[in-house]
Amino acid sequence: MAKKTEDIAIVGYAQSPSYRQAELTEPQFLYPVISEALERAGVPRREIGFTCAGSCDYLSGQTFAFVMNLDAVGAWPPISESHVEMDGAWALYEAWVRLQHGDIDTALVFGSGKSSPGKPAEVFPLQMDPYTLTPLGADPVSLAALQARAMLDAGKITEDEMAEIAARSRKSAVNNPYAQVKGDDDPAVLLKEPYVTAPLRKHDLPPISDGASAVVLATTEKAKELTDHPVWIRGIDHRIDIHQPGMRDLTESPSTRLAGKNAGVKGKFDFAELSASFSHQEKLLCDELGLGKDVEINLSGGPLAANPVMAVGLTRFVEAARLIAEGGKKRGVAHATSGQALQQNLVAVLEAE
Amino acid sequence: MAESQAADLNAPVVGMDYHMHVQYHEVLCPVMREFADALMDKRLIGHKCPQCGLIYSPPKGYCPICVVPTDKSHELELQQRGTVTNYTIVTPVQYHGQEETDRFAKASLQLDGGGTLSLQDLLEIPVDDVRIGLRVEAVWASDAERNVDEVTNRSWGIGESAIRGWQPTGEPDVPADELPTNVF
Repeated sequence: MAKKTEDIAIVGYAQSPSYRQAELTEPQFLYPVISEALERAGVPRREIGFTCAGSCDYLSGQTFAFVMNLDAVGAWPPISESHVEMDGAWALYEAWVRLQHGDIDTALVFGSGKSSPGKPAEVFPLQMDPYTLTPLGADPVSLAALQARAMLDAGKITEDEMAEIAARSRKSAVNNPYAQVKGDDDPAVLLKEPYVTAPLRKHDLPPISDGASAVVLATTEKAKELTDHPVWIRGIDHRIDIHQPGMRDLTESPSTRLAGKNAGVKGKFDFAELSASFSHQEKLLCDELGLGKDVEINLSGGPLAANPVMAVGLTRFVEAARLIAEGGKKRGVAHATSGQALQQNLVAVLEAE
Repeated sequence: MAESQAADLNAPVVGMDYHMHVQYHEVLCPVMREFADALMDKRLIGHKCPQCGLIYSPPKGYCPICVVPTDKSHELELQQRGTVTNYTIVTPVQYHGQEETDRFAKASLQLDGGGTLSLQDLLEIPVDDVRIGLRVEAVWASDAERNVDEVTNRSWGIGESAIRGWQPTGEPDVPADELPTNVF
């Protein structure tokens, strides 16, 4: 029988503002984020047991950009360190697994990305099947539009609901100093805008963002020593659906459902921070995770308000930790996604003491 | 379905060319802009870490070893003369898009008075004569030709359009054991 996993806590967190075009380099804007997360945790840089980063060289268009990012960590003398070519949320998962070994008690996790130098519609098709989909230019907006169309046709959402989700996200983001798209918009007015890629309008799309976030994790004993307000990761899991979008029913996300079940998503939740990069995906994720009307979704504004790709999933953990450690919330869900049209999904249950 | 798949196994393999082009436009970060402006004035600048004293050229805006920020107050001008501390001879492979045809050397330099530069071009010397300890000096592009178009956040700082390369000074070589061991 498998050994029960140890509860790991978030003891430090920070994020950069979401920039449309950062003037600073990625390590330059990562630097204060990592320092702030470590300071909040009260863990000296040299005492961190394991460091894991998530980023993508294709975004900034520089080979080994992820190595440059270590400039912001302080990696000399050498540290124990790893990198995933994925959102920082998966770096958090790797660090969570590493902490289960029991020989170290803290880990630093960060995610960062600069989407502004390239054109997302050119860069993202490169992650697709190189024979049939990359040459077609299958980018996230096109695939999300197909998904939204499938959901509309299946009666799982309406364009009105999509505009309401977008308007609510922008309104929530007004209180988020890190958000990029915010304001008080009337859904009826938003619906008068033309389509960008039918059936998606501008408000259904995430902004193009540069940014970073960081989290410090600690084992049960260490977390209690470091803080009176640890944010416990009670369960975490990630699952993947088939790579070829043509072989999926885009109106469902079995990987989200399974990851949610394995992470222990049941019972009452105060809030959820979901990586719904397109408005319709919020509805799909809520349905798959069984989150009802009583759960407040993306109080930060979510990815529709700030979308630093490769950090945006980890930022869900940062926002969730902030709501619990500083906002008086008790229990929430953090979700991250990877691939196209919610292909791969990571779900965690976070709780106050 | 199964029948057509079986038939396909005997068909000749068909190849497909797919050329992709992805273009990036990045704004120059503030410290690199200062570095580029200095190059236009034929000056080479760096930041000296207030803690360990290492000099970074081009400046980074922090010392990655000590993890402390650096700014204009840590700026200093570097000498334009130095010593080859290491080098690599590159033999160009003629892949698609390759513009180089002849062997060439890229050198690491230790500048007199402090500071290092990586991946520098050497001029006026045959590739086979390049050696550790060689004394060199900067050869600037002329005022009319000099530009900083090749300076980016992602480069090692100096495009050939500003400093064309480094040429031997004719001074005796520095013995290898007198060279510093640090790379940066």
